[in-house]
Amino acid sequence: MILANGKLYDTARQDAILSGLETCFNRTLAERSLSPDMVICAIDRLGQRLDQGDFDALLAQIEQADRYLAQIRPLLSRAALQYKLQMELGTDTAYTTSPPGNLPAIGVRRAPLGVLFHIAAGNVDGLPAYSVVEGLLTGNINILKLPQADNGLSIEILRELIREEPALAAYIYVFDTPSADVDAMRRMAALSDGIVVWGGDEAVSAVRRLAPVGAKLIEWGHRLSFAYLSGAQDRARDWPALAKHIIQTRQLLCSSCQVIYLDTDSMEEIHAFCRAFLPILEQAALGSAAGLGAAAEQTLRRYQARIERAISGQTGKSGRTVYDGRGCSLTACDDPELELSDLFGNPLVKALPRSRLLPVLRHQKGRLQTAGLLCPEADRAGLTDLLVRAGVTRVLRAGEMSDSFCGEAHDGAYPLRQYTRMVNIR
Amino acid sequence: MSQRTKLFRRKDPYDLPASDEQFLAAVRENCAFHYAHCPPYRRVLDSFSFHPEDLKESSDLTRLPFLPTATFKHHRLFSLPRRRMAAVSTSSGTSGQVSEIGFDFPALWCDWNMLWRIGRTRGFFSPRPTHYIILGYPLRRGNRTAVARTAFGATLLTPALSRTYALQYENGHYVPDMDGVADALIRHAASRFPTRLVGFPSYTYFLLRLLERRGVRLRLPAGSKLMLGGGWKQFYAQQVDKTLLYALTERVLGVQEEYIIEVFSAVEHPILYADCVHHHFHIPIYSRVIIRDVTTLEPLPPGQPGLVEFITPLLTATPILAVMTDDLGILHPGGSCPCGNPSPWLEILGRVGLKEIKTCAAGAAELLSGGGKP
Repeated sequence: MILANGKLYDTARQDAILSGLETCFNRTLAERSLSPDMVICAIDRLGQRLDQGDFDALLAQIEQADRYLAQIRPLLSRAALQYKLQMELGTDTAYTTSPPGNLPAIGVRRAPLGVLFHIAAGNVDGLPAYSVVEGLLTGNINILKLPQADNGLSIEILRELIREEPALAAYIYVFDTPSADVDAMRRMAALSDGIVVWGGDEAVSAVRRLAPVGAKLIEWGHRLSFAYLSGAQDRARDWPALAKHIIQTRQLLCSSCQVIYLDTDSMEEIHAFCRAFLPILEQAALGSAAGLGAAAEQTLRRYQARIERAISGQTGKSGRTVYDGRGCSLTACDDPELELSDLFGNPLVKALPRSRLLPVLRHQKGRLQTAGLLCPEADRAGLTDLLVRAGVTRVLRAGEMSDSFCGEAHDGAYPLRQYTRMVNIR
Repeated sequence: MSQRTKLFRRKDPYDLPASDEQFLAAVRENCAFHYAHCPPYRRVLDSFSFHPEDLKESSDLTRLPFLPTATFKHHRLFSLPRRRMAAVSTSSGTSGQVSEIGFDFPALWCDWNMLWRIGRTRGFFSPRPTHYIILGYPLRRGNRTAVARTAFGATLLTPALSRTYALQYENGHYVPDMDGVADALIRHAASRFPTRLVGFPSYTYFLLRLLERRGVRLRLPAGSKLMLGGGWKQFYAQQVDKTLLYALTERVLGVQEEYIIEVFSAVEHPILYADCVHHHFHIPIYSRVIIRDVTTLEPLPPGQPGLVEFITPLLTATPILAVMTDDLGILHPGGSCPCGNPSPWLEILGRVGLKEIKTCAAGAAELLSGGGKP
């Protein structure tokens, strides 16, 4: 399915539609610009319709829709969107510099990049549409390549947005091109000023290969997140919160905890932690409201990982002890490296004394995202600084590692700034 | 005589209680064979601290470690050298990953026994010459998928007067020839001999709707049958349409519901399940079904939904002894079907949402597929 100029077309029409895009874009760029207000109004109205239950059928497709909505809905209000714009782009969209001494002043204006090509990932429902919305807020024309795992939600959201504000039709083009269709991807890239890519190493390097030299690349690549436990903690509050986070996100998000680090040298402490934390993780796993199919999928994947380990003879792999729980597991490891776990409620547990924290985390520089920090308040500032110096971009509390915060940066950057350029005028 | 042969020689294919002891002996024998000849399988059992000798009574079957069907897509697991295999069956993989399952010679004999005994309960065999319409493709060199083989095998159940294939191989592609099929059906309706239509429920439904739109209304001769089968995926993707399909078949072909026979099987579990007149899939003595809790994988009592595990001692070439599907199902207790078959029956509810893995954590897909990056 293709969405172009507000209309749906069959995938077979891709070639013809792509051929007409350049003329179409040029006309839009030459004739008008898109005001953020128009976009905000449309989203705000969409949010109100959401509250009225207009999209309940659509939401039924999403797992854990209520929890998801509780996080997302407040961010769709006019006030929150205006705040986001302000935080990321500043209050003045156009101003004149006043440099010291006799240095000449110049006008500054923020302008859209022009055309953005979004190559979206499918790990969060509605994320492709969200990426386009950020492009719209900054006044760009948007081409969106849907991820293979998309369930039709993104195109639906964007159609509704156009229904609210028909003027947006000229700024939204959605294609369900498979990533293997390199030729079509190249043509889309050639039409674009900026390419926004969400996804794994393979997706990012594939995009680097097909991007024309002049296009700006904005890469939201895969990230790794972890929890860091140091000193005395509020076990009754923080441990269940961490367990709930691990189970609820299924460890599938960039911000999901993959490794639980303890600030220690002692493997004995690691094993003791596993024994103490496993029942808490188990409780979260058994209490999760996942549907039959989703629960079965997670269980199968976990079991499959176990079989794969057995077949490759890794069960006895030195330095790894698996603590099997019902619906989850913990693996005590004797190495400190930050790495991906088996996902779906199977975090790794490792020892990492703070004296070695920075050099070890630097092995994953460029991939670090969220640290869930559990420590006494007195240590918090110092450990936060250390984590920041190691390259982490978010330092949060145990249960909130994957929460969204209005006005927060994304992987160390403000996306809206990335989607715009500063123009100087005299 | 091997325990397996004894099991497959038993007369009544649906008397489970009487076969329990023999089934357990055959499973133990099969388990010991794979344990001795397939090192990866041995490692799996070892990792669970399970030994074939631990299979002492029927209840121990639930403790037997099982392999998810995906395992056979990631690994080539064999307990016999290739030269001692009669055939290698491959699944029709959609994403380039296919399972390869080896068949040993005695297994083929068991297979035929099974087909004979189960087929007789549903009138598979007949000396009457029959026209065949296959909604699939002909067997050809280089294509040994189980689907093509099974479809061809179905045309051997009676003497075949003709075989018409809906998919033709042209220049490296399969091209549907629905007109050819429609013409053949119209011809066969006037024949003295019955016609059997063999295919996936989905293709069959598509064909019948096409014929209906063209105004085709036929009365196929008495003895004509619709034989539906294929992979599980195709099987229940159309579940909702089943009653529609039955009605449509009667309208378009004049074949009544009781002559619509559904079968299912899988490359990783090549046991034949044929439905009864109530379209329930009864468990034959050659296999056992265990439904497992979706979170804990503990076995569940009859009537409760969970993941479907199959056990069969059919093959010695590949350790498919106990496999876990990605299907959700319910095992209804024996004696609960009005058709009178005393065996429990399996209801498939649908497939677990195993679409493309959705993750943004690095390399997860590679990790889970067992290959790829460190």
